[in-house]
Amino acid sequence: MTARKPELIAVDGIAGPAIVAAARAALTSIDRRRRSGISHWDASGVFDELAVAAGDAGQPSVRTLLLLYAADLAFRLRWEIRPALAEGRSVVAAPYVDTAIAFGRAAGIDGAWLTSLFLFAPRPTLRRFVGGIAARAGRRGGFVEFGFAQVSSDALGATRGEVVNRMTAHLRAAAKRYRIPADRV
Amino acid sequence: MPPSIRPLSALRRRARQHFTNGSGRRGLLIAFEGPDGSGKTTQRKLFKTWLKAEGYDVVTTKWNSSDLIKPIIKSRKDVHALSPEEFSLLHGADFRHRVEQVILPALWAGKVVIADRFLFTGLARDVARGLDLDWVLKLYQPLLWPDLVFYFSVSPGTSGKRILATRTPRFYEAGQDITDVEDPVESYQRFITRVIREYESLALIFNFITVDAERSIGEQHQQIRALFREGLTRPWSDWNADAVAEWLAMSGARA
Repeated sequence: MTARKPELIAVDGIAGPAIVAAARAALTSIDRRRRSGISHWDASGVFDELAVAAGDAGQPSVRTLLLLYAADLAFRLRWEIRPALAEGRSVVAAPYVDTAIAFGRAAGIDGAWLTSLFLFAPRPTLRRFVGGIAARAGRRGGFVEFGFAQVSSDALGATRGEVVNRMTAHLRAAAKRYRIPADRV
Repeated sequence: MPPSIRPLSALRRRARQHFTNGSGRRGLLIAFEGPDGSGKTTQRKLFKTWLKAEGYDVVTTKWNSSDLIKPIIKSRKDVHALSPEEFSLLHGADFRHRVEQVILPALWAGKVVIADRFLFTGLARDVARGLDLDWVLKLYQPLLWPDLVFYFSVSPGTSGKRILATRTPRFYEAGQDITDVEDPVESYQRFITRVIREYESLALIFNFITVDAERSIGEQHQQIRALFREGLTRPWSDWNADAVAEWLAMSGARA
């Protein structure tokens, strides 16, 4: 009998709490001896530091936030995800790449730029998309809630409701592409 | 109106009109590039003083200096915690924030912006750290091209000699994150050789104006003045329309 390969399970969506709940469920579905843990966004603390920056430092744009998200993901891959996989353990990344791409696309960022930005991130073994609407604002909810709290509507280029609708549409299209049931988004 | 349905083409047109209308001085972006120890900061200061005496409104922006991102980078550099990708992405974020908060507002207002290092610093250092040039260049999109790039060319030996005359190179400056050499001086020599090689390639690709930084300070300054005067007649680069349009869109179209 051959041992199962360690898996990288990506959980993406809009609402932070829903992503975390789905990540926990995904983790418990893995054999206890073969599971590592959940790699959450802001493991590097970049966004925590950003949230306490002086008010006169200026608000970040969506593009700046996405660069920081990618830097944080590089940290998570280096210290959490790749070491777990190297030990033969499965790991859940919540969120992973699709949340950030959907957020960027919803704010009008060019898709080719977003794809290139995350080229360093390995393709996950499994993808799960979760539904749920992001809270209006809030520092510790999830990446999307954080973005809503940090970026003005002008810089976001849309109302929060419009961004959520566009993210949902983008994630549904991605789910179709990945052949994940669309009703999960 | 959101960017995806906001007429970006109209904002591009507006950018072109603003920078090419010919009435009064348009904003100018001038980058000073080169390895550590090439003397570009000395030249940047002399140039700024001269420009002000000539009646220009001048703004300076330095590499890794945004109030928002710099503290994040510093805390990670202090504990040597950055991988090449994180190093690159965080500097890209710092650059983007300065473009949006400092550089484009000043250019829009008709000022001269002097950049003490520009995105080419990120390209040279990140590629020297083993990252792919195309990937790094894309991080900086939408690209904002300077009107002039002065490249201060020195040999690795001169760079090392000038730096070591004043201090020991710091961990990332010495490239110790990738050379695995414990001695910062030896590591610096190896790393700066790679950085200079990348700079020399970029100088060819992007048509930098090369200043021989081994010449006297006075000679270099006179050369820069002359090149600046020649450069004044250059047309605004249409490549910059995307960067300006995105900035206009995110700032409520600068009503």
